[in-house]
Amino acid sequence: MPEEIFSLSGLSFRFPEDEAKTLNAISFSVHRGERLVISGPSGCGKSTLLYLLNRLYPENCDGLVDGEIKLFGKSANGYAPGEINHRVATVFQDPDSQFCMPTVEEELAFTLENLHTPFAEMEPRITAVLEKTGLAHLRNTVIQSLSGGMKQRVATACALIMDPEVLLLDEPLSHLDPYTARQFVHWLEELQQQSNLTIIAVEHRLDSWESFFGRELELGCDGRIVADQKFMPRHPVSFPNRQCVAQPAMALRAEGLSVTIKDKQLLAPLAFTVNRGEVVVIAGPNGSGKSTLVKSLCGIYKRNTGTIESDGIGYVPQSPEYLFLTQSVHQEVAFSGASSQPELDGLMASLRLEEIRDAHPFAISHGQKRRVAIAAMLADKRPVLVMDEPTSGQDTAALLELFALIDQRAKGGTTLLIVTHDMEFAASLADSVLLIKGGQLTGKFKAKNVWSNEKLLASHHLLAPKGVAHLAESFA
Amino acid sequence: MRNLLHSMNPSVKFVLVTVSMLTIAFFFNPWTPLLFWLGIILLQLTMSRINWKLWLLFMLLFSIGAFGYLWTTVVFGADTGGTVILSFAGIDVTDEQWARALSLAFRVMAFSTLSLLFAFTTDPVKFIMSLMQQLKLSPKLAYGVMVGYQFLPVMKDEFIQIQQAQRLRGAETEKRSWQRLLAMRRVLIPMLAGAVRKAERSAFAMEARGFTGEPRSAYYRPVRIGRTDWLMSGVFLAILLASCIGGSWMS
Repeated sequence: MPEEIFSLSGLSFRFPEDEAKTLNAISFSVHRGERLVISGPSGCGKSTLLYLLNRLYPENCDGLVDGEIKLFGKSANGYAPGEINHRVATVFQDPDSQFCMPTVEEELAFTLENLHTPFAEMEPRITAVLEKTGLAHLRNTVIQSLSGGMKQRVATACALIMDPEVLLLDEPLSHLDPYTARQFVHWLEELQQQSNLTIIAVEHRLDSWESFFGRELELGCDGRIVADQKFMPRHPVSFPNRQCVAQPAMALRAEGLSVTIKDKQLLAPLAFTVNRGEVVVIAGPNGSGKSTLVKSLCGIYKRNTGTIESDGIGYVPQSPEYLFLTQSVHQEVAFSGASSQPELDGLMASLRLEEIRDAHPFAISHGQKRRVAIAAMLADKRPVLVMDEPTSGQDTAALLELFALIDQRAKGGTTLLIVTHDMEFAASLADSVLLIKGGQLTGKFKAKNVWSNEKLLASHHLLAPKGVAHLAESFA
Repeated sequence: MRNLLHSMNPSVKFVLVTVSMLTIAFFFNPWTPLLFWLGIILLQLTMSRINWKLWLLFMLLFSIGAFGYLWTTVVFGADTGGTVILSFAGIDVTDEQWARALSLAFRVMAFSTLSLLFAFTTDPVKFIMSLMQQLKLSPKLAYGVMVGYQFLPVMKDEFIQIQQAQRLRGAETEKRSWQRLLAMRRVLIPMLAGAVRKAERSAFAMEARGFTGEPRSAYYRPVRIGRTDWLMSGVFLAILLASCIGGSWMS
């Protein structure tokens, strides 16, 4: 048995402003070289547990800790601020807010300066870590110009340059699309094999990790350990089967639509039609023009050529709160004044907004925000809805809720265009798929013809949904 | 030669600019600020590569300001005595008043040119690093500013996205500018909510990488004070001294 590095016994944790304990009676230990994942539903205290291991908590939140945390055989309280961070490095979930310097090299140097590394050692260590992580070509690149996946690799390199014994990962995949996520996991696997690093991750998207982990610690909603077991590779979220409810009437026709901004053609002329009640998934690599298409459809961007015929197109951004203008949910839905009171009441009821009628739109859950946004768009008489990346960063329960919501709206005659990278979600939901690449529409495909065509998917940076066979059967 | 102003140590440049401004502020004759202003322009012409179009645009604004000073001092300035040199529309302008007005106007021009010289030839990142290394600015503050600087483009994107989304909702674009300013509040609230979350995450990320705010013992990119800085300090001080002496002598 390798040496024990972390050991927690009878740990409980409470935020000073909360009544209930976030973590309760947690006891476990971690041995060198383990690959451990902490799983559980959103808000169960996974990240809190991780922050107790790198000493971000309890100092930063004045949290109340009971029980004992031993890090490398020494009580956690015995470490000076910043001391443990030399041995335990962390990669966080948001690729956009982990950096403070302009270029990759300077960011790595920032970490070394924190460790009081002598000047002569800095250069060789930066070169070494860049070689090791395969990022040497990015040395002088501006971090903000990198993609999310690359930013996460840079963040990992910044963690590894400290020569840590333990690497903590806080949902590192949640802002990455599945294709990038899989590449990141493979890359991490290679790194872990080179150095006998201990990895502890917090994650709810376990299927993307394939068989990376060796052990799983599952937390329940009450902050207790539900299970401490060998890790089993997961299947992705399985969505219920769904019938196509598209109606013969046409809801949207785009003809010769193109967008040019500042002499750069972002979207080459394209044409497609969508029927009422049809669910269309828009997919393609990052920067391929998906957002441009979506924004030109609903009128945010001016189109340079072409026509769009529709009954009114609404837009639900990835952060629905961007849309909100008023102080309460019911005012938000009624804002446009285009619907009568009975229509509004009907919408509020069908989207389960009655119980949060008077709540502030910023103070409700993410799922509720999205329902408010949809209600507001439908109340504004926009029966064609475009949803931008609604699946990004969502856990299983949230995805199932979103699935049910979209299915329900489609049955009610709403037409939905959904931009997503999540192919399992797309496969379970879509009637048809619009594939875009480099500002060109590859075409509008019947959904069932797309999922088994790996070549077509790979050329658009998409992964075939897992369980295609199962889907193909259900289509047959 | 053309790089001299750009390759100067930012802290040294900052100190020189501050010292010059404070010194010029004690001279009330019109010639000192005029000479100094011309000197700075000459310096910029010969020792920097900047976007002169942009520079002119900024200077246009400052020129309007300078003219405002001139005008108000001439018209509304306190009666200081001296001989009347000009009379129009019932206003008598004395030579002393005129000299003071010119002095103020030239001072505005000199100060704005000097500020632009600093802004146009200094890399903000290098400036912060230099403040930390030469002027002992606390690393907590310095890296805080750096993070903010990294956030600017992200914030700009977010601002545009929120504005677009709200316009789609039919949030009316106000005609009057003060109403438009009030309406900004609606864009700023979601943006600030996001910014607070981002700031906390950044702080955590920095702390997790061992940043405690203590002074650093070694820098990867030391910003040094070199021969250029001594040379340029000499040039700056020469211009300053020449304009002070020259101005006093001419008036």
